[in-house]
Amino acid sequence: MMSCVATITGPGDGIARVESMLDEMAREHRLDADPVADMHVALDEVLSNIFRYGFADGLPHRVEVRLSVGPAMLKAEVEDDCAPFDPLALPPPDLSGTLEERPIGGLGVFFVRKLMSAVRYVREGARNRLVLEKWLSESDGRANGTA
Amino acid sequence: MELREEDLNGVTALSVKGRIDSGTAPELGQKLEGVVSAPRRGLVIDLAELEYISSAGFRALFIAAKRANETGSRLVLCSLPGKVRQLFEIGGFLDIFAIAGSRDEAIARVR
Repeated sequence: MMSCVATITGPGDGIARVESMLDEMAREHRLDADPVADMHVALDEVLSNIFRYGFADGLPHRVEVRLSVGPAMLKAEVEDDCAPFDPLALPPPDLSGTLEERPIGGLGVFFVRKLMSAVRYVREGARNRLVLEKWLSESDGRANGTA
Repeated sequence: MELREEDLNGVTALSVKGRIDSGTAPELGQKLEGVVSAPRRGLVIDLAELEYISSAGFRALFIAAKRANETGSRLVLCSLPGKVRQLFEIGGFLDIFAIAGSRDEAIARVR
């Protein structure tokens, strides 16, 4: 499995660098556009959440994103040293109601869960570690899509 | 993300090309705010060349749709590619926004 890593210390160009890294990997391995798009969306949600909430304490933090691709799977491991936060513990958003009634927000983590084949969270010492896996075959990809 | 704005006899057509994510959504939001703030305006957002949209982008569209309701403007999205349509479906947005199959249909609906 081949992989590459980006270390980010603030919002700045952090998400854009991860975006480019994924694009490069997708080109190199000729990955289908669909699973790559899903991974782009998931990483945007995960990283923007870390910057919005994890960095809110004003302290310096480091986020490490490792992308890897194997024959059947695209994988992202996101580690940060922010306060403990398990995104998988959040309740699903309420998607019912009209434009006027629906609250904005709460969708990001929901997208991550729906778009990825598997998501795991673990607190390791002083670090949050989130693992996103996307199966590259379409049939496998939807198998766990309702998680 | 690239935005292209056209005026079609009083209807504004905004084409969005590329990706709407947390990095590009603010620019889209600003552009939409400017258009929908004009009273009783027709706005078509053509998504034919959109690769994907994340929750930050949905937030921008959502705010614009609410604003359009307030100002009496009409906003219709059109030409959603398969992946984009899937994201709208997952987010429960297919019934929230006015969505047309083609640009012509969208223009007819906002006139």
